[in-house]
Amino acid sequence: MATVKNYGDPQLEEKLKDQYFYNSDANPNFTKEVEKIGDTLAHMCFQCGTCTGSCPSAPRSSYRIRRFMRRAVMGLEMEALTDPDLWLCTTCYSCTDRCPRDLAPTDVIMAMRNLAFKLDIVPKNFLKTVQMIYTSGHGVPNNDANRAARTKLGLTADPPTTHMYPEFIEGIQKIMHHYDLKENADRILSEEGQ
Amino acid sequence: MAENMHTYAFFLGCIAPNRYPGCEASAIATSRKVGIELVPLKGGSCCPAPGAFGSIDLNVWYAMAARNVVLAEEMKTDIALICNGCYKSIYEVNKKLKENDELRDGVNEVLAEIDMEFKGSIDVWHLAELYYDPKICGVKKIADSVTRPLTGTKVAVHYGCHLMKPKKERHFGETDNPMWIEELVAALGAEPVQYRNKMQCCGAGGGVRGYDIVHSLDITNEKMINLQEVGADALTEVCPFCQLQYDRGQVEIKDKFGIDYGLPVLHFNEMLGLAQGMSPDELALDLHAVSCEPFLEKIL
Repeated sequence: MATVKNYGDPQLEEKLKDQYFYNSDANPNFTKEVEKIGDTLAHMCFQCGTCTGSCPSAPRSSYRIRRFMRRAVMGLEMEALTDPDLWLCTTCYSCTDRCPRDLAPTDVIMAMRNLAFKLDIVPKNFLKTVQMIYTSGHGVPNNDANRAARTKLGLTADPPTTHMYPEFIEGIQKIMHHYDLKENADRILSEEGQ
Repeated sequence: MAENMHTYAFFLGCIAPNRYPGCEASAIATSRKVGIELVPLKGGSCCPAPGAFGSIDLNVWYAMAARNVVLAEEMKTDIALICNGCYKSIYEVNKKLKENDELRDGVNEVLAEIDMEFKGSIDVWHLAELYYDPKICGVKKIADSVTRPLTGTKVAVHYGCHLMKPKKERHFGETDNPMWIEELVAALGAEPVQYRNKMQCCGAGGGVRGYDIVHSLDITNEKMINLQEVGADALTEVCPFCQLQYDRGQVEIKDKFGIDYGLPVLHFNEMLGLAQGMSPDELALDLHAVSCEPFLEKIL
């Protein structure tokens, strides 16, 4: 039968009470949200650091994926979401392939970025891609020099994508409207004076 | 011959058709010679970019990638594509929606607004894996299609990230030191060369190229140092975004770091096109930022 874990000494318990780890910024729901969006059991992380050791961004910046894993476990929501290093992950998945606990630190980062966006924390290059795709269906649209090159190759000047069939763009716009993505991107960029 | 052709809907993505059309032209021409017919996937869009879109809202990423998959479902054809970023979006979303009913129902709710439904009736492939797969093509058939072997050249391979990683969401096995693309390179008559940290990222993904270009190029620069060390004549890859990062990135590295590598970077399709006798003009190699001439001089 399970018993309450303690030293059986009320005086010692009282002395230790305020020495258990406690952080007033911690939000236990943050851990749950990250695990749900990232579809990985982040709280199983035992901080071995294999992730940071595998990370191409770590040697050239202060970005430490292990630190973000710790923040996920401890529920340190604002510390994680406001850190500009959050956006230095190239999503190469080396850490995910090497994690000895079979976790997906990369997807923890993706989950945190999704949560940051809900608080309007997002670098503007991400929003500009949204606007570009909303307008043309492409994140990297065609241009005149490329049209000329395509024609020379015997390809159609515009590829047979939304470029050649713009009637498909409306469907893409409807999907983005469903999630208010375009509206939010426009609003955040205009608030930043872009 | 015609009845033995394997037909796929060709998902183009953005960078191949709109920046390196030689990748698109060579994919169509080279695959036809080994029994693969690529038909246009009309109305396809950006996959959408897994780094840019996935980072902002994964739900939109699922729905928009699913729309591209449904276009091929309506054609009753599997998808073939030539970009690792597209592979992550299209392959992974297709797989996840097939396996996860809750996710699929959510996506179908959105797709219903545009009169579409994800059924999970097709598969998604990277053209490179079809080239390697003996059931579809295989290394021998690639070797047999070569009319101008790339003899005397040392070619290094960049696998990129999202084709094989994360390995538990893929079917390629270990990702520490794969050799299957080297086998394809050897089939073209070139000598594949190994280099340090082969599986490291090119530095472009996850929105980092747009967020912090110097950081992104510094990762590329590390790869370039390792490639220079082994004296590669060219780098080949299977992802136009990696190609952009290495090709235009070398110009940016020269500008920002003052180092000039001059290493030609060619998509495997372009490399195969050369080996099958296509001319540099037919591959629009003049659109590459780094001149391919030093490599071409060795084989033409």
